[in-house]
Amino acid sequence: MDLSAVQASLSDKSYSSLAPLCDELLLQAASRGTTTDEWPYAVHLLAHLYLNDLNSARFFWKSLPQEVKGARPELAAIWRIGQCLWNRDYAGVYTAAQGFEWGPDIADFIAAFLESYRQRIFQLLTSAYSTITVADVAHFMGMSEEDSTNYAVQNGWSLDAGTKMLTVKKPKAQTNQKLDASKLQRLTECVFHLEH
Amino acid sequence: MESLEALVAHIQGLSGSPEEVAHLHSLLKQADGDSLRAHASALVPFLAHLSPGAHSLGYLYLLEACATSGANLGDFGGGDFLVTMADFLTACSSDQIRLAPDKFLNVCRVLKDQVMQLNRPIRGIAPLRVAVRKIQASPEQLTPVHADYLLLCLLAKQYKAGLSVLEDDIFEVDQPKDLFLYCYYGGMIYIGLKKFPKALELLHNAVTAPMSSLNAIAVEAYKKYILVSLIQNGQVPSFPKYTSATAQRNLRNHAQIYVDLCTSYGNGRYSDLEIFIESNAAVFQSDNNLGLVKQVLSSMYKRNIQRLTQTYLTLSLEDIARSVQLETPRDAEMHVLRMIEDGEIHATINQKDGMVSFHEDPEQYKSVEMVEHIDSSIQRLTALSKKLASIDENMTCDPAYLLKVSSTGRDRGRFDYEDFDTVPHKYF
Repeated sequence: MDLSAVQASLSDKSYSSLAPLCDELLLQAASRGTTTDEWPYAVHLLAHLYLNDLNSARFFWKSLPQEVKGARPELAAIWRIGQCLWNRDYAGVYTAAQGFEWGPDIADFIAAFLESYRQRIFQLLTSAYSTITVADVAHFMGMSEEDSTNYAVQNGWSLDAGTKMLTVKKPKAQTNQKLDASKLQRLTECVFHLEH
Repeated sequence: MESLEALVAHIQGLSGSPEEVAHLHSLLKQADGDSLRAHASALVPFLAHLSPGAHSLGYLYLLEACATSGANLGDFGGGDFLVTMADFLTACSSDQIRLAPDKFLNVCRVLKDQVMQLNRPIRGIAPLRVAVRKIQASPEQLTPVHADYLLLCLLAKQYKAGLSVLEDDIFEVDQPKDLFLYCYYGGMIYIGLKKFPKALELLHNAVTAPMSSLNAIAVEAYKKYILVSLIQNGQVPSFPKYTSATAQRNLRNHAQIYVDLCTSYGNGRYSDLEIFIESNAAVFQSDNNLGLVKQVLSSMYKRNIQRLTQTYLTLSLEDIARSVQLETPRDAEMHVLRMIEDGEIHATINQKDGMVSFHEDPEQYKSVEMVEHIDSSIQRLTALSKKLASIDENMTCDPAYLLKVSSTGRDRGRFDYEDFDTVPHKYF
């Protein structure tokens, strides 16, 4: 089985292209009846999680035979992260990711996943809260209270030290207002057509 | 009958220009039949002398004879017969195989049956995905391969692979059964991916498709249609008037328990619905719908919270918990957070005061993306309306339709030109 493309994406750190690539290679290998003992199951599963595509991750896990699940501790450890994501156990994701000794070829990928996950959660907190306790931010971000306070303050949030409460600063949404004139023209023609 | 060697020589010699292929086709038709099938095991070595890409038509006849001979395909040749079929489907020339669509469909069907028998549905996905494109005259045409392909995707749990055929809009259908299966399996794929609006669309098509007698696919589709409607919209709309009379009269009787579930959901009480589902769990389980039914149950929290946003501008977490039957304010907070994450409500949580404020949809319909979205929707709708107009015109020109209309009209048997003045004159 030719896995050089997967290896290349891993070493280029183009992680977001991995899931479609692995999906396609697996289908092609399966149609040739190739054995898939060498298949990078752990990378494939993590690639789905990296894209936050939990449905694909779940179906991928479900489609694996029991002996594959049982014999690969790294794969099982990644699935534990997946379960936390699925159950929205926000803090559990960090515990699961940090509670396993990852092999050298996947450790970077795990770190990249955690980084993008943390950013996504911070975005979520920014949009969902107006005020939030320091303890909760630390919980959601998988950091110590001090680190998470620093992280938040760097992003413009303000701290009320007395109540240990952070006030969220929402960034102004930047919308691209530039418009292709032909689109506007077509829209105008359409409305004109409807009115006459 | 000519010897096999001569036949293979013809195939090798006559696979160039369209005229040659047409001549070859008539030769193959003569050779085809039981005699070819009887020699099935002797055919396999000859396949090696042919190229699936260059000699597609001849290859197809021989391959189909092997595949449908009824012999045990695992014993054929030294190699793997499944790989031979897969390679052929990938490499064959679509111009040649479209001359013998029935043979091609047979090969696809045998491939599907084989991988299912081996319990390795994933092996058939890549070949059938190519096969759909090869046999289709246009991406708008539905083929029998579509349903088989989707079935394999479901069985192999490769849901995302199914999207490649589901994303095309289908306008041409030959066999009603193809359409029913396509809509049913397609609906299941979208349910698995939690794209409920698309699932609803497909299941709706299965339920409302014309049918003269009730079929099992429509009944199962209707059950799922009820569940997905509840998850997505919180209610089940009544049948639109173009639904067949058969469906309107019978479907509800065959899905009584689902109709009852709907009534219970409408009352809006979580605990009542939970009891109803528990007491009927066995029925839902035997329909393989229990997972979906549980999603209906958990969607009720969501529905009730969404209902609150219509009444209040701000509400305490405690009040939310009480009115939607959640145990603690923290549970309510997590539900609201989850809904914000999924884009289902617009709200901000204020932990200091323990309050949630609900907002209007922040979309102001002035971004470039929105204009592009509107523009592409308009384009699609114009294309659709043109298509409908042309189908309508074709139908009003169809002699069979005209005969039916004129014979059931008020002046039976009399041919009245005024009734048909929209029909172009060249058809008369």
